[in-house]
Amino acid sequence: MIELLRRAAARDAEAVAMIAESGEWTFAGLASEAESLAHGLRDAGIDRFAIASNDIPRVVALLAASSLVGAEACVYAPDITPEEMDRQAAAFAHPVVVSDRDDLGEPEVSVVRPASLLKDGPPLDVLPERRPLMVLTTGSTGTPKGVRHDWSRQLARMEQARDGSGQVWLLAYGPNQFAGLQVLIHVLGTAATLVAPSVRRPQAVLELIHDHGVDHISATPTFWRFMLAEFRADPRPVPDLRQITLGGEAAPGSLLEELRATWPSARLSHIYAGSEFGSTGSVRDGTDGLPADLLEVRDDADVSLKIVDDELWVRSSASMLGYHGEDDRPADEWWPTGDLVEVVGDRIVFRGRKTDVINVGGVKVHPLPVEERVSAVPGVKVARVYGRVNALVGAVVAVDVVVDDGVDEQALKASIREACADLPRPWQPRSIQVVEELAMKENKVVRGGAATD
Amino acid sequence: MNDVQTTVLTVIEQLLERSDKSGVVVTLDSVIHGDGLSLDSLETAELSAILEDEFGSDPFAAGLMPETVAEIVAFYGAGEGAAAS
Repeated sequence: MIELLRRAAARDAEAVAMIAESGEWTFAGLASEAESLAHGLRDAGIDRFAIASNDIPRVVALLAASSLVGAEACVYAPDITPEEMDRQAAAFAHPVVVSDRDDLGEPEVSVVRPASLLKDGPPLDVLPERRPLMVLTTGSTGTPKGVRHDWSRQLARMEQARDGSGQVWLLAYGPNQFAGLQVLIHVLGTAATLVAPSVRRPQAVLELIHDHGVDHISATPTFWRFMLAEFRADPRPVPDLRQITLGGEAAPGSLLEELRATWPSARLSHIYAGSEFGSTGSVRDGTDGLPADLLEVRDDADVSLKIVDDELWVRSSASMLGYHGEDDRPADEWWPTGDLVEVVGDRIVFRGRKTDVINVGGVKVHPLPVEERVSAVPGVKVARVYGRVNALVGAVVAVDVVVDDGVDEQALKASIREACADLPRPWQPRSIQVVEELAMKENKVVRGGAATD
Repeated sequence: MNDVQTTVLTVIEQLLERSDKSGVVVTLDSVIHGDGLSLDSLETAELSAILEDEFGSDPFAAGLMPETVAEIVAFYGAGEGAAAS
């Protein structure tokens, strides 16, 4: 991470790297802050630590510092409760949490203020051989898993990165999410500027997009759907976006059409990534799914794909080292993604998550086709399809929908049933509930679609 | 006719309407399966979910298999405070 900041600073020391509530940071300023923090980490003998902060430039400086001295950093959810912080610190054996938060009370884990780690020292020119990093999965159930990565593996692809200076990106993911880390690496690695707010909901970022001329955004389909609604409700013309990136869930065709209609000249890309197998890069042809020619396995490729029993497997040079508490895995290991796919023509199309399959009286139902039909019904803002426990048939297909203001709920439910009438009967929704908002976690529907955490 | 009866009958009538059986007359004596309302497993599952939404509990989830509409109504104690559950 430090090398990305140093490279951009060498090109233009005054170039703005990040804009946040705490102020603007140049690449040179961030690199210098990171070096001071690196001395502080080394002086304090900290070789593993967690970060709990919503000041994203500070998080970046700490990550860069960790990559400079080989200390393993792990970003917790910025708004983590003190109780959960203690639980995670115990689970992942973190002796120290670096945090600037004033609302933590007196947690059991030792909390260190970032400012106390700012120390002077001689230039740190040699990067350590091992540069570990840990990312927590944000799965919908249970305790997160600690996924160990290595900075050098994560940054290898940035060596040949294009110069993105002049581009202004928005951070729409949490810094604790793997997708958020990917955005940080990409934006800082291309010397672009990142607008990094502490609140990343569509409603909250609207002004920032206009104020700072954001023209590149990477976010989930759910985020984009709500962002479109915010732009539509705003009297100003939509901002001139040049790059639209989607990831984290499969994107319904209706959403892609709407994005293309709103920004006809923008580039529309998809990123398929997961905490364990890393990012497989972006697909820039604007269609959902992945090109089937990625299935032609070559030994020298950075990323290879294969399909085993309808499930997509990935082998990547940017995959994890292993889980926390476990040994390193083989570097060229194939990884089952949990994503169910089908090859349709020259495309690998996503059908849903393996664990999302709803068993309705022995019939396996994939939520995604149902979700696509429901999402396309006029009046539906966003929909989530899931299995609802049922005493008679095990589970029935249930739908939660967020609807436009003033919609007649009874008529809408009838339209939803109508839209699903062509599906086999077990696939048809048996429970439709209108809700205020879907259970969302930092730009991600809890159920998840594709594998990004 | 009390509130629970009305709600149960309305719920079943709407379910039948959606299943293209709107000609069927629903009374307390109606038999749920077989020659009566002839609800199949998916329709019964849907009824179970709707009743749970309406009343917070439902006889099917409680392990019962009511045979008539009256038995469903009876599960809710004929309306005595059941809606509050």
